[in-house]
Amino acid sequence: MKPELFFKFASISFQKQVTYRFDCFVGIVNGFLYVFIFTSLWKALYSQFDTTVHNGFTLTAITTYAVLVMAVRISFTMDDSIIYRKVMDGSIAMELIRPTSFFFMNLAENVGHSLFHIMARTFPVVIISLLLFDISIPLEPVRLLVFIFSFFAGYILISMLNFAAGLLAFWFVEIFPFMLFKYALFTFFSGGLVPIDFFPEFLKPLVNFLPFQYMLYFPTVILTGRVPMAEVPSIIISQLMWILIMGVICSLMWNAGKKKLVIQGG
Amino acid sequence: MQDNIAIEVKGLRKEFKVSSSGKGFLGKLQALFHRGHKIITAVNDIDFKIKRGEFVGYVGENGAGKSTTIKMLTGILVPTSGTAEVNGIVPYKDRKKNAAKIGVVFGQRTQLWWDLPVRESFDLLRVIFRVSRSDFDRQMAKLDEALGLSPLLEMPVRKLSLGQRMRCDIAASLIHNPPVLFLDEPTIGLDVLAKQSVRNFLSEINRTEGTTIILTTHDMNDIEQLCKRLIILEEGKIIFDGETELLKQKFVHEKVIEVEFYEDDCVMQGIPGVTVVREQGCKKWLTFDSDGSGIGEVIGTIASQYKIKDISVKEPSVESIIRNIYDNRIKLSTPSSKPFTK
Repeated sequence: MKPELFFKFASISFQKQVTYRFDCFVGIVNGFLYVFIFTSLWKALYSQFDTTVHNGFTLTAITTYAVLVMAVRISFTMDDSIIYRKVMDGSIAMELIRPTSFFFMNLAENVGHSLFHIMARTFPVVIISLLLFDISIPLEPVRLLVFIFSFFAGYILISMLNFAAGLLAFWFVEIFPFMLFKYALFTFFSGGLVPIDFFPEFLKPLVNFLPFQYMLYFPTVILTGRVPMAEVPSIIISQLMWILIMGVICSLMWNAGKKKLVIQGG
Repeated sequence: MQDNIAIEVKGLRKEFKVSSSGKGFLGKLQALFHRGHKIITAVNDIDFKIKRGEFVGYVGENGAGKSTTIKMLTGILVPTSGTAEVNGIVPYKDRKKNAAKIGVVFGQRTQLWWDLPVRESFDLLRVIFRVSRSDFDRQMAKLDEALGLSPLLEMPVRKLSLGQRMRCDIAASLIHNPPVLFLDEPTIGLDVLAKQSVRNFLSEINRTEGTTIILTTHDMNDIEQLCKRLIILEEGKIIFDGETELLKQKFVHEKVIEVEFYEDDCVMQGIPGVTVVREQGCKKWLTFDSDGSGIGEVIGTIASQYKIKDISVKEPSVESIIRNIYDNRIKLSTPSSKPFTK
């Protein structure tokens, strides 16, 4: 797909988001509420113990994590029901008659969507949080750079996850329950609620077996400074490997799904 | 595949699996645990070849499998079995490559962007189909002249009337000047004038550009005016494939003789091989056996025996012929084997 086209599609999707300004305002409040609940929860929990460091996190570190993981999560906002809707109303037919990759069209739409949420929601939530909470982010340029790279890798992974989940619409009439399941798995195993370090031992093998931690947890801990720079290359390699694996899964599903596709409404 | 063949279809078949659940509360409850599946054959092992530059009408009742065929030829659906080639490309294997060389219009949908002005939609399609700016400008000028697009270009697509939108959609499908054009009910919902202007345009690009056109429609005037060749589909099978003229000749006994007799000679006695299909006072509509006497003889016999005030011969319309084909077939087949509407 030509970059020019990718940006055009992203820009159309971005402009569409601007129409829903009220949604955006609610989204900021919602995002901040999450941050507030989690930071308060951690504060209350930490005050119950005499020790100040738990699983390697001080109160400042865990507050920083809670804010940043939410910031990354908001930035990753995408509409995961796009494919489902296109199958449901049959408009997917009109995309398949174009000489463009369905995956990249979908990715471009996601990027436009997310770009809007980064500008309209991530920044306000981060700025308010910086003023209200005790947060410390190491300002090392190299770390910031690898964070950006890891952030993009995480973004592509989550986009692929949503793509694969959306393709289920080729097989099933109703995919909402799958989406709920995906949401629950993702929110928990990506470290969206609690950092992976706090997980009980018996869950760790499962966490390492799943791709979710490479979507949110690792990009976030690279930024907070929880991970030493020496470990960063292996994290990024794992992310790239998962992109490869998810890519294979997506393409297998796409090829199998095409045979199952039914165009609704003639 | 030879060079002069635009589309070649061999043993093409598409089956859909539909789940059937019982009626009412108990039926649905039962369906929760066990659901019956039914295989419905939308397109049933069809074969045809279409040469470059042909204008083919692809007709059939609702659910006969027309749209499903078009969707396989455009790479949207993957056939259950059989093969298809369009411009030498297998559409369901090389969807993107195929898409670059065909134009598609689905009358019930639009490929334009709902919220964008028409001009921007066209410009996006220009980038998608990798058309150079100069080729694009030339093609747009041509399309504008034929379809009168200029007044519409700045309007958002959602504000267009159905006829305006269809003109824009047809233009959109031709931006990259494709050698093959698929039109699935492009005149649906258009008024008489709009229909005529679309027809004129299609006939012109078929003649001047040599564009191969496959048209599905329920409007028999489209077929009569445009399509030299007709493929009739029923329940997923091809029941006629040949020249539209040939079909008319084959059903020449469908010709209707309209006779008006003088008052005093109104009661016409039976003439062998001639049936009265309708009468209204002294006006009668007659049909005759094709294997018996010719039309001249029939008229001669009538004229020699009765006093005729007025006589005329009505050509059978393609519509009446097709209606006849459908009617006869429907009697033969059981209603339960009706194909899936797709």
